[in-house]
Amino acid sequence: MKVPRWKKAEFEEIEYEPKSIRELLKEIKNISELIVDLAYSAILFNSKELAEEVRYLEVRMDKLNYEIRIMAMLTARNAEDAEKMAAILQIAQAADTISNAAGDMVKLLAYKLDHPILPHLIKESDEIIKKITIDENSAAHGKTISELKIAAETGVRIIAIRRKDRWIYGPKGSVKLRKGDTLICIGPEEGMKQLNKLLKGEIEVLE
Amino acid sequence: MSEKEAEALLLELKEKAELMVDLAYSSIIYDNKEIAKEVYELEDYVDSLNEELQKLAIKDVKAGELEVNEALAIIQLGACSEAIADAARDIADVELRDVELHPIIKESVMEAEEVLVRVEVKSGSVLCNKKLGDIELASHTGMWIIAIKRGNKWIYDPSKNVQILEGDILFAKGPKEGVEHFLMLAEGKEKEI
Repeated sequence: MKVPRWKKAEFEEIEYEPKSIRELLKEIKNISELIVDLAYSAILFNSKELAEEVRYLEVRMDKLNYEIRIMAMLTARNAEDAEKMAAILQIAQAADTISNAAGDMVKLLAYKLDHPILPHLIKESDEIIKKITIDENSAAHGKTISELKIAAETGVRIIAIRRKDRWIYGPKGSVKLRKGDTLICIGPEEGMKQLNKLLKGEIEVLE
Repeated sequence: MSEKEAEALLLELKEKAELMVDLAYSSIIYDNKEIAKEVYELEDYVDSLNEELQKLAIKDVKAGELEVNEALAIIQLGACSEAIADAARDIADVELRDVELHPIIKESVMEAEEVLVRVEVKSGSVLCNKKLGDIELASHTGMWIIAIKRGNKWIYDPSKNVQILEGDILFAKGPKEGVEHFLMLAEGKEKEI
């Protein structure tokens, strides 16, 4: 059996390497947002792969927290520094709490419920979650997420892309979309409709 | 059907917890203790919602309306939202302490993929006198309004019926790419939503 990525990551040794506290905190904040979106999607679509990515990010978050603590201690030279660093660590710790909550959420997948509660829940929500496959006639084929201005024109976040057997989680703006890709999207209803039209080849551009 | 009730409670828990995180970060980057205090108040509210949800789930099982596993799933999802709400309170706690914040905090929050902005609505803005539900800001700019400051009053998590007025200070959250359009709309420099 293949060992999941999160399990491998969990037992990897961490070696000290200097990193910038700002970069660490940035990644910590980004993960704490992505991981919650991924967790709800994993439950909604009953997806083991998405759930495994949540577990992986949870482990990654632990590591980042460990690293930021070390860097904070190395940076502080006096009591005033230490107070400021304590605030940074408190935020990093809160982000870790959020990622643990997301990790707990995906454990629900093991329950194999006949009557899933989440679909109803998400339908009523301001933000909906949808899976959309890119049509072969879509103008989105070959364009990057930034070029298409998806975030700004629709308010939809693409949190994962399934490309054949591969997954791209939390794709950056520079990722090129291809026909046949399945996107996991979260966003407001009206924007989702627009994005769906683009990906299904009904409109050429978002506006 | 009380299953519906449990779902409604769970949804409110989820949305409030996520709102709290956004408000908590906003309180830090705008050095705003009022918002931070609101996060504390919301935390109490979330606690009470969660307790209500737990009781309801147990009652439903007793009445034979929910399976044990379903009730357990509902209770656990509620607990996750509650944990997120606690995390938000811990972030707001940083703002309420009398320690000057390290600039790194603001920088890393502002450079993250989802950012927070604050803007005053100017007199020529197309947003003036519009209801939030009518303009669908989130669908057109990606930005969600999380709070409005109107004079001395605050409207947190404004509903679709709230009208934007000249002079309102809007606190919003969204993708970096959506910020500019949103700011131009509020400042009256761009007319097309």
